[in-house]
Amino acid sequence: MRIGVFICHCGSNIAGTVDCESVAELASGFPEVVYSTDSMYTCSEPGQEGIITAIHEQKLDGVVVASCTPRMHEPTFRRAVERAGLNRYMFEMANIREHVSWIGKDKEHNTNKAADLVLMAVEKLRRNRPLVPKSFETIKRVLVIGGGVAGIQAALDCADGGLDVVMVERDQSIGGKMAKLDKTFPTIDCSSCVLGPKMVDIAQHEKITLHTCAEIEAVSGYVGNFSVTIRRRATYVDWTKCTGCGVCTEKCPSKRSPDVFNEFMGTTTAINIPFPQAIPKKAAINPATCTMIQKGKCGVCAKVCPVGCIDYEQQDELINVDVGAIVVATGYDLFDWHKYPQYGEGRYPDVITSLQYERLLSASGPTGGHIKRPSDGKEPKNVVFIQCVGSRDRSVDRPYCSGFCCMYTAKQAILTKDHIPDSQSYVFYMDIRAPGKGYDEFTRRAMEEYGAQYVRGRVAMIYPHGEQLMVRGADTLAGTQVEVPADLVVLATGVEAAQGAVKLGETLRVVPDQYGFFVESHPKLKPVETNTAGVYLAGACQGPKDIPTSVGQGSAAAAKALGLLSKERLESDPAVSKVNLSRCVGCQKCIGTCPFGAIKAITDRQGKLKAEVIETVCQGCGICTVTCPQGAIQLEHFTDNQILAEVNALCPPKMNASFE
Amino acid sequence: MSQLEELKAAIRGHLDSLDCVIGWEQGYDPLHATPLFIRNESDLERLSISPLAVHNPATYATGFAGKKIGMVVRGCHSRSIIELLNEKLIERENVVLFGLCCDGVVSQRKIRTALPADPGFVEAVEIGDDALHITLAGEKTTIKLQDVLADKCRICAYPDPLLADVLIGNKHDSRPEETLACQEAFEAKPNAEKFTFWQDTMSRCIRCYACRNVCPMCVCQDYCIAASRDPLWMSQENSPAENFMFQMIHVSHLTGRCTECGECERACPVDIPLMLLRRYMNKQVQEVFGHQAGTSLDKTPPLLTFQVEEARIKERDW
Repeated sequence: MRIGVFICHCGSNIAGTVDCESVAELASGFPEVVYSTDSMYTCSEPGQEGIITAIHEQKLDGVVVASCTPRMHEPTFRRAVERAGLNRYMFEMANIREHVSWIGKDKEHNTNKAADLVLMAVEKLRRNRPLVPKSFETIKRVLVIGGGVAGIQAALDCADGGLDVVMVERDQSIGGKMAKLDKTFPTIDCSSCVLGPKMVDIAQHEKITLHTCAEIEAVSGYVGNFSVTIRRRATYVDWTKCTGCGVCTEKCPSKRSPDVFNEFMGTTTAINIPFPQAIPKKAAINPATCTMIQKGKCGVCAKVCPVGCIDYEQQDELINVDVGAIVVATGYDLFDWHKYPQYGEGRYPDVITSLQYERLLSASGPTGGHIKRPSDGKEPKNVVFIQCVGSRDRSVDRPYCSGFCCMYTAKQAILTKDHIPDSQSYVFYMDIRAPGKGYDEFTRRAMEEYGAQYVRGRVAMIYPHGEQLMVRGADTLAGTQVEVPADLVVLATGVEAAQGAVKLGETLRVVPDQYGFFVESHPKLKPVETNTAGVYLAGACQGPKDIPTSVGQGSAAAAKALGLLSKERLESDPAVSKVNLSRCVGCQKCIGTCPFGAIKAITDRQGKLKAEVIETVCQGCGICTVTCPQGAIQLEHFTDNQILAEVNALCPPKMNASFE
Repeated sequence: MSQLEELKAAIRGHLDSLDCVIGWEQGYDPLHATPLFIRNESDLERLSISPLAVHNPATYATGFAGKKIGMVVRGCHSRSIIELLNEKLIERENVVLFGLCCDGVVSQRKIRTALPADPGFVEAVEIGDDALHITLAGEKTTIKLQDVLADKCRICAYPDPLLADVLIGNKHDSRPEETLACQEAFEAKPNAEKFTFWQDTMSRCIRCYACRNVCPMCVCQDYCIAASRDPLWMSQENSPAENFMFQMIHVSHLTGRCTECGECERACPVDIPLMLLRRYMNKQVQEVFGHQAGTSLDKTPPLLTFQVEEARIKERDW
């Protein structure tokens, strides 16, 4: 082989603590290295041209670049060697930035280590062989998980772009958290007025199939060819017949169901349509509170239903769909503020969450849009808002900022003044975080035009004081303790990962971070991609986000899905497992360990059992290769021999022991 | 009827429907047994089930693939069979198990130490209830069975076969899991001492692969990684490092699969205490996965499955 080695300075990133010229010089003595040089920025255009020229002039058939992590520029350099006519797998990368220069200061040691890493790459490259990808067809259909505003946007954009869309929503209606909001900052426009039409578009778009009351049961397959099983919970109502007339909900005698849509501010009927603008506008029975399902007596809804759509025997239904891409838009849930003893742990009915307050403000809410406090229905005059409840607090393992609470608290203070002109709002805050377009002006308006009293400090305790609650806290700007009598206390409850996100992540092979938010492929450059090809993220499932950002990300995820599926065929990574049939003894251990079901048993011509890898399903994880006792199954591009060569380059085997 | 006669009768009843029944017979002298492959009535007469009959018949099971065979199994042997069944390496309908409730077998190594050095030809061995009476050059030596019992039998928790179609003998009361004192003593040693020990011990290894060939769980046949140049995990160089590497490969291939039948250690011609490695690995598997190989049907060894979340390994809760 004729190997060329290129050592990158990465400006001063590498050259600052690694003697790149020495590394290049050392590398020229490595086996089969015929050309070795260093350059300022190997990834730059002149840097890449340098590689290409060297390949032509030196007749190289393999290239090693020592620079940054392969996650950064391996695709770049692979393309470069391919432009020069080499197979893209005849390229190896040694990471001397993240693994050397950024983590060590000692130049001599760094230089030696960099040379070792280059030697490892050379030894591996000597055992590389050209690999050619296979291509396969893609399914022009997208699965959108979650029907909040991010999912809705992603679904509409995909559908408008010509793809079939399957939307799966856990709740009875789409709309997500935004549907529960009264008004939205910073324009104070009606939330359901801007979201409603989009929800209707979902229902009416001919390319969108909507499954609500449904969750993802299983996902198999790979980018372009996912196979998804959806579990649709029994609603006990035949939705093909239900017209959403609402007669059943009026007549239902069981009114003990928790009102989920209204954030548990009261109860509702066992058969219910969550809100007037619900999509789909269909009734569903809560089996836990329905007397017919629980005790077998009642049946009122079945009697009054004009179309006879009630079915008490309905079962969960499993739906299978094949899709080419998946957009995850599962949103967020609210922090459980009962963990805080200082806010009464739920003992005081007039301490409510911000989302509950939204329902009180909303005309479609339990109070018809009149602010009435839960304890006695009176109109509150003094409303105290407490920010950062479950945000920026290490003591409850929520060190992150939920991002949009400052803004909605300002909005709620403004709306309070609008609803009750003689009211006074107080806001306990830590810092005001309003870095969006028109956001800071908005919080200023809450203070200056609407007279909200902002108190910088934390609340120490809330205790009952006659009909009121007394909120005691610190005013850190004045350096005093303050006590504010409150008729109603609203907690700006922080954001946490949606319930079940971790489990869904496992199904989708998308990694959640320590708080349950899904991890994007790159925090800056790949914000909607995940490390599983063909699975994209939109909205707050990736981290706290306000509406405009969620919508933007929904569109971004849709653009990614459209881009992916605009290709007629996709190429599969040839770095997958391969069975050496003559070594395989058919013990089938690999089949049991493959997490992707990518290995099947076959019988050869002599009728002997053998294993076979389904190339497009294999993800190249390598579990089978470490399972196979006789080394018959090998991961292409990462064979045992290649890895052993790297190890031996680093720790040369001692041959002396037996010749003592 | 003695247990042997009872067993012979049981085998006789199945002999027509089986290609072969594996048991034991006297070997090259009365002190040593050897596996017996019973194919007809006359073979059956040579059957012996004395404590000298130590070989694990499960070792031969995979070699009879596609044939119907019978096997005389002790408790530990039945565990090997169960493990092979669980790994789908043999089929239940193809094996008939004649189970022996076992009181333990001897260790030839211990007998060798108990006898005078270079004892010559063994003329006769009489097996009593608790002693062996060995005649050497006309002279009778008595060795207590208890003194020459194999290590694995001293701590055996499964003396009765866990799986058998015919069960011969009286069942034992259940026994607790025990550890050998020598095992504990070795594990307690400092690493440097263990390192020196293995360096010394492995320099004895002649890489005859008897340990591998006798292992009922080694099913790679002629494709053992130790004899492969592609992938080239180890050379044929006979150095302590390469020898130890081979043993490490063997023990890791047995992770969650080793049934502690002790055949590897028994077969080793240079007395390498291989069970030290096996027992240690089994202990780890027991702690991490709660798995004990070959103790129940339909349990896959933990490293031969894939689970996103292992019940006992908390990846997120540290």
